[in-house]
Amino acid sequence: MVKETCLVGVLVLAIVGMTLAETGVKKKRPLPFEYGRVILNNYSEEAHLSPVVFDHWLHRSKFTCRLCHVDITFAMKTGSTGVKASDNMKGYYCGTCHNGKMVFQGTKIFESCSKKLQADDIKRCDRCHSLGKNVKREYDFAKFTERFPKERFGNGIDWEKSEAEGYIKPVDFLEGVSILRKKSLPVQKDFALTPKVEGMPEIIFSHKKHTVWNGCELCHPEIFRGVKKGATKYSMVEIMEGKYCGVCHSTVAFPLLDCQRCHTKPVQQ
Amino acid sequence: MPMPVPHEYGSVIIHNFSGQAGLAAVRFDHWLHRARYTCRLCHVDIGFAMEANATKIEADTNMKGFYCGSCHNGTRVYGSKKIFAACSLSPRPGEDTRCSRCHSVGKKVQKEYDYASFTKGLPKKNLLNLVDWEDAEARGFIRPIDFLPGVSMERPPLTLQKDFSIPSKGWGWMSDIIFSHKKHARWNGCEVCHPDIFPSVKRGTVKYSMLEIWNGQYCGVCHSRVAFPLNDCQRCHVNRVRR
Amino acid sequence: MCWFLTAILVAPIESFYCGIAHSQEDWSKEFDEICSKTEDAMTFSVEELKSRVDRCDALKPRIEKLDEPQRKVTLKRLQMCRDLYAYVLEMKEKK
Repeated sequence: MVKETCLVGVLVLAIVGMTLAETGVKKKRPLPFEYGRVILNNYSEEAHLSPVVFDHWLHRSKFTCRLCHVDITFAMKTGSTGVKASDNMKGYYCGTCHNGKMVFQGTKIFESCSKKLQADDIKRCDRCHSLGKNVKREYDFAKFTERFPKERFGNGIDWEKSEAEGYIKPVDFLEGVSILRKKSLPVQKDFALTPKVEGMPEIIFSHKKHTVWNGCELCHPEIFRGVKKGATKYSMVEIMEGKYCGVCHSTVAFPLLDCQRCHTKPVQQ
Repeated sequence: MPMPVPHEYGSVIIHNFSGQAGLAAVRFDHWLHRARYTCRLCHVDIGFAMEANATKIEADTNMKGFYCGSCHNGTRVYGSKKIFAACSLSPRPGEDTRCSRCHSVGKKVQKEYDYASFTKGLPKKNLLNLVDWEDAEARGFIRPIDFLPGVSMERPPLTLQKDFSIPSKGWGWMSDIIFSHKKHARWNGCEVCHPDIFPSVKRGTVKYSMLEIWNGQYCGVCHSRVAFPLNDCQRCHVNRVRR
Repeated sequence: MCWFLTAILVAPIESFYCGIAHSQEDWSKEFDEICSKTEDAMTFSVEELKSRVDRCDALKPRIEKLDEPQRKVTLKRLQMCRDLYAYVLEMKEKK
């Protein structure tokens, strides 16, 4: 009786362990052209369309994070914006640019959604609503980023260096969408954050590097609430759950796997 | 627990899309690759997952130069030998033999390297008679490559923590574990384990026991299927003598 | 006489509609004025920040009256702007 109970107990624990096996394992890492991919499926299936596949890499090479996430107000969490075809057609969200009229770098940007679909319109829908479909993209990642300076992990691109060397010039202002603002901003000096794990180099956080593409409102106060440095306590646990730094640095900006991108300063012994 | 058979130990069956493509499942034997390359090169630089079928390799991505295709592209060399290209979208007649080199489950395929002859002179350990890879490297039998041009990137190394002991949860007779970062980092660097397998947080934050390890988590990611197996208790549960 | 009566009837209607059009332009101008300076927030005094937060709060009801999705988008935009000023204000007051 005891033996049977023990056996059942072990079996239950093993099954529970297997189903909860999200920690302590090494899952697939997205390939460079897949990194930053977001699947949007609020209403696509209702509309008998495939869910939307949005790859960040193309848009981030052309626009700042701030433009989409502050001026156009896209949420920073998959599925939270709740974009509807009607919103797009009224010139909001994707429709801010994808309206068939806006010209960007000499090309007319295709219109995103239509009320009445004609036979050949489906191809246009499929450009975004492409999950599970074999859709030939207009831009190929490998060709597009061929000459960009490379880095480890994520997209495999050093986006910061790409801008510094002139390979990309992300646009930060859209007429009729963005508020006209001063170009230069006074920012806090870089500062060090001490890691909790002994032996890990200190983190050097640069406001300057972050504000170039994010401005202020993207992070404050939604992502970083505390006003006094050290007031908000968080560790790698929360970051790896997609909070704080992890809002960007787990799925779109350079990933957390690349420790030394943040942990740069040797610990003062 | 079943005792591992030396030539099968570290074998991974990959069967995501082979069936759809009308091919046999892939059998990947770790022993040949681990004799030539570090774990870090494949599992960090190239980005293979550490769970069978988790990487979801497609012929298309191989042909674009990712995963297997990082080396198996018909141009990269090992020593003076060209490494055979992995996949074709439309294999020509006679190319079947090339596909079968990997897509070999259930087929009688003559592999290029035979385990017995390859590992003949390599040091073996314990009753299980598995290769002692650490010793093999120390004695110069193998020199695993850690850098692949065009794939790997140089990084200044992080400071290694000193060896430390992990108290055994007990049952009285199991001695403490001596964990050596130095030994592990040699072939894994930091990123194989951190933060995916061992979240980089204060020691003691993440709780796990032999139950999770036998389940293939934490230490078990490697030590249940590829690195020396968990049957070999005393490789970790050593006496408190520092080596 | 007819002309006079028409003018009396039309004038209030006209001013009513002009009033609406006028306030629509106003909210947009006001919004631009308040929120174009978020990046200078750190240089503002406590009084200036308080004033901007109050102006955002005053603007909110006018934006609530807009049609969807302009309402949803502009409210979010206003909230981010207002919360940033409030954040910097809190930082300065706690110093």
